[in-house]
Amino acid sequence: MIAAHIDPGRRMPPVAANTGANDTDDVCAAAAGDRRAFERLYRLHVGRVHGAVYRLAGYDRARAEDLTQEAFIRAWQKLPGFRHESAFGTWLYRLAVNLALMDIRARGADPVSMVNDEQLPDTGQTPFCAAEREELERAIGQLPPRARAVLVLHDIEGWRHEQIGSEMGMATGTSKAQLHRARGLLRKILGPAAPGVPA
Amino acid sequence: MNEFEWRRQLRDLQQPLKPRRDLWISIDAALADAAPGSTRSSDPLRPRLPEHRRRWLLGASLAASALLVAGMGWRLLHAPAGLPLVASTPPTMSAWKPTDPRLVGAAIELDAARMELQQALRQAPGSAALQRLLARTERQQTQLRQSADPAG
Repeated sequence: MIAAHIDPGRRMPPVAANTGANDTDDVCAAAAGDRRAFERLYRLHVGRVHGAVYRLAGYDRARAEDLTQEAFIRAWQKLPGFRHESAFGTWLYRLAVNLALMDIRARGADPVSMVNDEQLPDTGQTPFCAAEREELERAIGQLPPRARAVLVLHDIEGWRHEQIGSEMGMATGTSKAQLHRARGLLRKILGPAAPGVPA
Repeated sequence: MNEFEWRRQLRDLQQPLKPRRDLWISIDAALADAAPGSTRSSDPLRPRLPEHRRRWLLGASLAASALLVAGMGWRLLHAPAGLPLVASTPPTMSAWKPTDPRLVGAAIELDAARMELQQALRQAPGSAALQRLLARTERQQTQLRQSADPAG
C-alpha cells in the first residue's frame, strides 16, 4: 500500500505557493465522485507532481508520465480517505513520490549493499562547480536509481534524511551514505572541469 | 562557486514541470472504471510498462499466437499417413466422466496421459515402448470405468 496519509508532525517539503490555496471545495466534490472537480485539481497540481516524479525517474519522460498518470488515478481512488490533515497538494505530492520510489524498488535497482567505498570521493573541502542546468539534469539522470532518489529528495526536494530513510525503507545513515555516494558520482560525471559537488 | 551556491543551484531544479502531452484524457478514461474508494488499479509493486513497451509486447504476443496457429495447422496437414490424428480410443472413453467424485481426478490424469502418449506416438510411430504404455493406460481407463460402473 502507498502511505498516502500524512503524519502532521513531520516537516513536509514546501508546497508551491500558487497551488492548493483554494482547492478544498474541489477536493470535497472530487471525493464525492465529481470528475470535473478532479480535473481542476489535476490542472492545478500536475506540474508539481510531474516535476518531482520526472526527477526521481531520472528525467525519463515516458516513465514519468506513466507514474504521474498512475498517481492521479490512485489519488482519485484514495480521495474518500483523505482526512484534510495536510494540504491536498502535499498529500498528492507524497503519494506520487511514494509511487516513484516503489517503482524504483520494484525494478530492483541499485541495492544499497552495492555501495563501493572506493568510489566515494574524499570528504575534505572541495571546490564547487558551476554546471549548466541541462548539464546538471543530465548528470543526475545518469546516477544509479536509489542514489539519485536520495539526492533528488534531499538536495532538490528538501527532504530530511529521516524522512528519506522512512520512505525508502533504509536507515538514516544509509540515506546519508547514498547521498555521499550520489554527490561523488555526480562530481565524476560532471568531469574534472567541474569537480565541485559537495562531499 | 561555494557550497551555498551549489545547493541553491540544485534547489532551483525544483520547479513544476507539465507533461509534454495532456495526461488528463487517459486519466479520465481510467477514472470511468475506478470509482473513488475502489482499488481496482494495477498492482503498485508492479511498475506500469511505458506505452511503447506495452505496444511492443502486444505485437509480440500476436505474432507468437499467429506462429503457434500456423505451426499447428502445418502439423495437421503433414501428419504421417495412416496415423490417426485423433485418439485411437473410442470417443466414449475420452468423453467419459465418473459420477463418483473420488474417481474424477484419476480419470482426468489417465485421459491426459493417454493424449500425451498419442502425441508422442505421432512423433515416433514405431516406438514399441510408447505403444505398450498407451495400451496399458487405456486398460487402466477401462478398469476405472468398470470399477465406477460395475453394473455396466
